Amino acid sequence: MNTLNVLPTPAAVPRPSRLDARRWRGLPDLWHFAAEYLLLLPFGVAIALVHANIAPESYFRTVFALDFFVTDVAMVLFFGLAMKEVVEATTRGGVLHPWRRAALPLVAALGLTLVPAIALRTIASAVGEPLVAWGWPTTFAVDVAFGYFVAMVIFGRHPVVPFFLLLALASNALGFVALTPAATATQLQLATLLTLMAAAIGIVIVLRRWNIRSFWPYLLIGGSLSWCALVMGGVHPALALVPIVPFMPHGRRDPGFLVDAPSTAHDTLSEFERWCRHPAQVALLLFGYVTGGVLFRALDWGTFSMPLAVMVGKPVGLLAGVTFARALGLHLPFHVGWRELTVVAFLTTVGFTMALFFAAVAVGPGAVLSELKMGALLTLTGGLMAFAAARLLHVGRFARHPRRP
Amino acid sequence: MSRFATTLVVLFVLGWQPFAAPTLTVPNRPDTLKFAVLGDNGTGDAPQYELADQMAAVRQLFAFSLVIMLGDNFYGSQTPANLVRKFDRPYKALLDAGVTFHAAIGNHDEAATVNYPPLNMGGRRYYTYAVKHVRFFVLDTNIMDAEQLRWFEAALEQAREPWKLAYFHHPLYGNAERHGSAVDIRVLLEPLLVKHGITVAFSGHDHIYERIKPQKGITYFVAGSGGKLRKGDLVPSDTTASGFDQDQAFMIVEVDASELFFQTMSRTGKTVDSGTIPRVAGRNGTM
Repeated sequence: MNTLNVLPTPAAVPRPSRLDARRWRGLPDLWHFAAEYLLLLPFGVAIALVHANIAPESYFRTVFALDFFVTDVAMVLFFGLAMKEVVEATTRGGVLHPWRRAALPLVAALGLTLVPAIALRTIASAVGEPLVAWGWPTTFAVDVAFGYFVAMVIFGRHPVVPFFLLLALASNALGFVALTPAATATQLQLATLLTLMAAAIGIVIVLRRWNIRSFWPYLLIGGSLSWCALVMGGVHPALALVPIVPFMPHGRRDPGFLVDAPSTAHDTLSEFERWCRHPAQVALLLFGYVTGGVLFRALDWGTFSMPLAVMVGKPVGLLAGVTFARALGLHLPFHVGWRELTVVAFLTTVGFTMALFFAAVAVGPGAVLSELKMGALLTLTGGLMAFAAARLLHVGRFARHPRRP
Repeated sequence: MSRFATTLVVLFVLGWQPFAAPTLTVPNRPDTLKFAVLGDNGTGDAPQYELADQMAAVRQLFAFSLVIMLGDNFYGSQTPANLVRKFDRPYKALLDAGVTFHAAIGNHDEAATVNYPPLNMGGRRYYTYAVKHVRFFVLDTNIMDAEQLRWFEAALEQAREPWKLAYFHHPLYGNAERHGSAVDIRVLLEPLLVKHGITVAFSGHDHIYERIKPQKGITYFVAGSGGKLRKGDLVPSDTTASGFDQDQAFMIVEVDASELFFQTMSRTGKTVDSGTIPRVAGRNGTM
């Protein structure tokens, strides 16, 4: 998915407290990652914010013209790539392999999502903006790319990083589940959806049985049919490749989370990733532009409901979820304690791009969406909160006694 | 002369009319549709009650049978007891006189209030109804989803009444400092309003009164000071035809075959704006 050459495996690796030479050597990889996946999207958001606040009518006309192409078509590629990471993470060496390793964060994600959703309802009512609570799936969103970047800066190759990634993935997956009834309660056509989706997956399985190695038939036949299934079934079609990608032929070992397929890998999924990389980046840039434009004068009490709900709800929810998971007999990764969890909890409050997407799907254009979108932008402060928590709790780069290799 | 009496004299000289008897500028003819317009009213505080009393007093002269509500029908707690305190009690005189209310939903309204019987929303966020020769379209601008837009266009196409009026909470045009124009919603709604011959659109949200000069043939009113008031929030621009941000206000409207007459009155009964708007034709030929 990108060219970040760090290994986010749970193996404990030294955590020096200061930015030493080794860390400087690692930074170019991080900056490469940032340039590819972090900067394009915020760049799109920045353009949108400027355009929307200088010439709002022109901005919204452009957005409504582009909206379908970007969110319903182009973003299919991005979520296809995201699903590819999840699929590979379940193979040997992946952060989701074996399942026992993934169990605790998956259980903890329940607390991470439920508590802020309840908090949003409470806060929205308290500030007199009850309709903002309709955007409750937005509180499930965790910006994986941004959070990963900040986590790497704070922790480096610490086992808490894959733990954060699992939490983020699980939380977003629950968000997608939550979005379906939230967005399509009145128009969900379950029979149509299941019939067409079964046909799409069936075709992909047949293609795989025939040992078709090119990704194009999977994409054009399976993906297109899946897209139609979602549209006709009343679910957001950006997820069209999510049910298709797991059935595409892929490597037996995960090259690393958010790590590019090696040039020697010629399996279907790796080829798809290589082809998709640049179109997905264009999609991200456009997505940032389409979703990011909010009028600053749209700031209202409802705007603060969502960031406040996640700032309060996610730390409480995560710690409660982890307590529950441990009561079930599941274990935290080595070298991950309550202090690291607290920092991770603040990292998960950054919904940013995923929150923008969830908001756009959960509610249509209008005042509520404007407030939710501004709220999604404000969740970026969670990155600063994570830094502050790390410094206060002396973890990661701020540890008093860094571990040695 | 006592200080109190001196103060009263000064206030009268400045135009203060504490007990002004309402004076009508609308024609008040028989067989016309007469209605009142009220927005952002549901505070349950004294100014809301005082404006409601003024509305009841005006109704003695101008027998309106309908009140259109522009959203934020309730602020704060919306328990059954609060709904009574913020709606049934202040408007009791109007309700007892058989006046019908039809509300739009605002950003401060709980979703469940669409089921509150006196608001006549029938459990819907958006709906349409006709009274005499006027078709009203009530929209939910909190969430202007594709489904609502499809419904609105279909309802506009089916409407056969000569007059079409729309109301919703967020103003498509407005010059209040706090919120102003909801441009994103304007981009979606304005083409439909223009195409189908909507003559006038009412909204609230900003707690002031403002009349906008006709935009693409449509006159827009912001009447969001039916309970809440944000004094001094109006920053008039070249689109402002008239405005008032010093006291709570409501509108009365009279519609005959070809003209719409309006008059805006403050809590004290002072007329702050009035005028006449001719009916416009839609691009699809409706007139």
